[in-house]
Amino acid sequence: MPQVRIIAKNFMDMVASLPAIKLDKLYHNPFICEAILRSMPPLAKKYVLQMLYIDVPVTASLLNEWVLPDGASKHRVAVDRLIQLRVFTELVDRKKETTYVLNQMFKMNLREHIINGGEPPRKPMAANITVRLPSLEDLDNYAAQQWECFLLHLINSAEAEVTTKSISPSMMKVFQRGLLSQRDKEGPRLTESGFQFLLMDTNAQLWYIIREYISNSEDRGVDSADLISFLLELSFHVTGEAYNVDTLDDVQRTTVKDLADLGLIKLQQGRKDSWFIPTKLATNLSISLSDASSRKQGYVVVETNFRLYAYSTSKLHCEILRLFARIEYQLPNLIVGSITKENLYQAFQNGITADQASIKYIVSFLQQNAHPRVAERVPSVPENVTDQVPHHLYSND
Amino acid sequence: MGHGEHSGRPSKRSKSSSKEDQRAAAFEDEDAYYVEDFNDDDRDGDGDGKKRDFTKLELKPDHANRPLWACADGRIFLETFSPLYKQAYDFLIAIAEPVCRPESMHEYNLTPHSLYAAVSVGLETETIISVLNKLSKTKLPKEMIDFIHASTANYGKVKLVLKKNRYLVLKRLLSDEVENVKQRCLPNALNYPMLEEYDFRNDTINPDLEMELKPQAQPRPYQEKSLSKMFGNGRARSGIIVLPCGAGKSLVGVSAACRIKKSCLCLATNAVSVDQWAFQFKLWSNIRDEHICRFTSDSKERFRGNAGVVVTTYNMVAFGGKRSEESEKIIEEIRNREWGLLLMDEAKFHLCFLHLNYVHVVPAHMFRKVISITKSHCKLGLTATLVREDERITDLNFLIGPKLYEANWLDLVKGGFIANVQCAEVWCPMTKEFFAEYLKKENSKKKQALYVMNPNKFRACEFLIRFHEQQRGDKIIVFADNLFALTEYAMKLRKPMIYGATSHIERTKILEAFKTSKDVNTVFLSKGRLQDRMAGGKEEYNAFFYSLVSTDTQEMYYSTKRQQFLIDQGYSFKVITSLPPPDAGSELSYHRLEDQLSLLGKVLSAGDELVGLEKLDDDTDDIALQKARARRLVGSMSAMSGAKGMLYQEFRTGQKGGIGKSKPKDPAKRHQLFKKRFV
Repeated sequence: MPQVRIIAKNFMDMVASLPAIKLDKLYHNPFICEAILRSMPPLAKKYVLQMLYIDVPVTASLLNEWVLPDGASKHRVAVDRLIQLRVFTELVDRKKETTYVLNQMFKMNLREHIINGGEPPRKPMAANITVRLPSLEDLDNYAAQQWECFLLHLINSAEAEVTTKSISPSMMKVFQRGLLSQRDKEGPRLTESGFQFLLMDTNAQLWYIIREYISNSEDRGVDSADLISFLLELSFHVTGEAYNVDTLDDVQRTTVKDLADLGLIKLQQGRKDSWFIPTKLATNLSISLSDASSRKQGYVVVETNFRLYAYSTSKLHCEILRLFARIEYQLPNLIVGSITKENLYQAFQNGITADQASIKYIVSFLQQNAHPRVAERVPSVPENVTDQVPHHLYSND
Repeated sequence: MGHGEHSGRPSKRSKSSSKEDQRAAAFEDEDAYYVEDFNDDDRDGDGDGKKRDFTKLELKPDHANRPLWACADGRIFLETFSPLYKQAYDFLIAIAEPVCRPESMHEYNLTPHSLYAAVSVGLETETIISVLNKLSKTKLPKEMIDFIHASTANYGKVKLVLKKNRYLVLKRLLSDEVENVKQRCLPNALNYPMLEEYDFRNDTINPDLEMELKPQAQPRPYQEKSLSKMFGNGRARSGIIVLPCGAGKSLVGVSAACRIKKSCLCLATNAVSVDQWAFQFKLWSNIRDEHICRFTSDSKERFRGNAGVVVTTYNMVAFGGKRSEESEKIIEEIRNREWGLLLMDEAKFHLCFLHLNYVHVVPAHMFRKVISITKSHCKLGLTATLVREDERITDLNFLIGPKLYEANWLDLVKGGFIANVQCAEVWCPMTKEFFAEYLKKENSKKKQALYVMNPNKFRACEFLIRFHEQQRGDKIIVFADNLFALTEYAMKLRKPMIYGATSHIERTKILEAFKTSKDVNTVFLSKGRLQDRMAGGKEEYNAFFYSLVSTDTQEMYYSTKRQQFLIDQGYSFKVITSLPPPDAGSELSYHRLEDQLSLLGKVLSAGDELVGLEKLDDDTDDIALQKARARRLVGSMSAMSGAKGMLYQEFRTGQKGGIGKSKPKDPAKRHQLFKKRFV
């Protein structure tokens, strides 16, 4: 089995890795330019703004003089990033000196933006048309529920009751690639990557799925640059506002339906119009993944005796805990289990190697999802548990 | 759950001439036990198949304010961070058996026996159900309500009354032995569990004993609570009170005796604790010297007057062999007297300071014998641990009575009543040469000596002593129950040691030096001498426990059991695998292979009888008679003594609150031993 490591990079990393033509095409969209600018390291932002109205190439040596000696490493990171994003084009002039020019399209769009100010990509619909919009809390719950449902479906859990409506089985297969092993006899089982995937936080999971969704887009006849620009555009919409579906082109309409399955968007139908409402998942897409503010409240208590109590009604949580624990009791708002050697073995028999990385994922999952009661205590997961999970695995009795 | 040992298994300490001992001696092959023992390792024994789904239970709207969940199968989960925790804990400990009690969530099981205990302390069926319902986040499952009804319906219908030195039970059952009657009345038989109560205030037949608690004897809240469970309705109930070591069981015992104010027979596990109990009686109460006496092989005192307190050992009472004339007279008195209170110390396995080793095992047959010999109105068992195998609980229930109260370790630690203890287990791989010998069949009797003398273990021990002595200025006590090892370690490291044969004067001298002198920082103790340590100001420090375990040997098995007990009580447990650290190797002993091999030679050439457990010659009259047989038992008895590890402890001599109260977050401040593991 090929080793698929999930690296939860962010949206901008993906943008940066696009081929040159696609990238240049992206910069036709002013929102992309703004989003790209926002995502840059501070020093890179400063260079872009400083060079915005310089129409001649700037030499590398001049650029070097803009920073103090101790900023050299940051300088290098910033310049590398700008070149990677093709915001800078590196040229060698006649005197054999390295120079940089700003991407023309990018420059024009930003200048335009600075002079005329930004306009939202779409105007929200008037409140008198969209009468029964969900509250922000309802919307969050909806998003969480959709996402959970999608994940249960993704891992082929028997607990998945409602099938996702829009995402086709073939698309599901695409998502499952790498996460589930497709051995015919035993039925699909979670791979090591799948195991780690389930233990990641929602933002990281979401990003993984979106990345797959984008890279698979060409097979569906959708231009990945178009898709990226639409997704970035979405992040400029306001959470909870309604936007008319009529403003979308065909590709975008299909995309919106897929995104609804993932919980990024809620679709509603009025008497005449239909509209889409972006959820927090959509508007947070381009935000840094490690943003703690988007983290949900924890629910897991791990005790020194390897008992585990999860304050949750979620079937997905139950499935996740089952990866490394024996579930013993299920109560209306509590799941009780214990982390046992047997369950860990079981997890690791599914082709998942008991390496330090997988263990770290379990431990950091437990830490990140610690119930508020124990989250304040240090450490939130008892040391003997974090210490002994490896022992649990390696002791060969 | 297997924290303890199989019932009826005699201990090394019970060298009375009982037949069971001899039978056990026939079990020469230690391994015969392990096969059985491993089976009860799996605590719940159920895989995912038995997973219980109670999601359909109806949550009450204000469930967040209520502290517990109750399941149809009798399991109860309690949030310790609930504002109602204290009340809920007191209630649950009265009606259910604790399964585990770590920091945030406790688990309890409702069993027929636990409900029997509940009824015994005066709780009524409807009260149990309604309080449980009030505390529960969900509606109570119907199964649980039915279960409570079914289990409590018959309690208290049979009463056992002791009058004029004769037991009166229901007529129909009169022909039975009293003990059989009681057993037959338990839930698993007739289901007419009895209540044993003593209306001591109206007992005009037995003379009163003049004794009061001294004003300075102020029971702590949990001690007060234990007593209130015992004397709840103005009469004295028989039963067991479970308090952790160091929590002050003796004050509870003395207080109980002071309330009943009748003759009291106090049973301890050995001569040292007899002395201590006598001391405690005088410390806490105003009992007159002539009213309290000790009865051991050394001191055969008798109290004057018609009521008094006798402190003796189980062995002294249960001893079946020939006694001296003097002893015979005293025992005759003990037999004939109608005791107001039978106080039984360490009524079960004694895990001292929550660690590591079962000491003072008083086997069930000994209880039975003692209880059948003596006649008492009220029996109070005091213990640190209850073994929760149903069979055991049954034993205790009919022998003494139900559990009256059980304190929670962690709450007592948080309240500052007992020491906060950090436990670490140091895994020491066997050296190649030692392991090769360990595996040989002909060395089966030397197994223990081989894993205790494992050079890697010795080096880890030496390292820890050096570290704590030199770098932290701590005081250190090292325990071992293997006398051979104790001597070897102490001699090699040039440290004083105390064991069974150490004279009283010498012992006192060593301990005094250990407490006060800057030059004596480490002392080696045999486990039988545990009381020596306990006599100190045990509540004042936070302690560290290390237990050194040779990996891949039988010790690992004991270690697993020990860990289970500790973690179920809420203690965290660390495993340290790399001691001594690689860079500290050469200055420690047994660095060179020749040294290790000469040590191996020493172990192998020592006689089998030398390398077994230490025998404590403390209790009976006829030590000489017993000795020959006892010696032979030693080798095979090691299987029953619980952990075999060397045990090592250090505690701060300075003011309290230093170590361990809360673990430092900053890795730089971490205890150096542990820091290494986080690099």
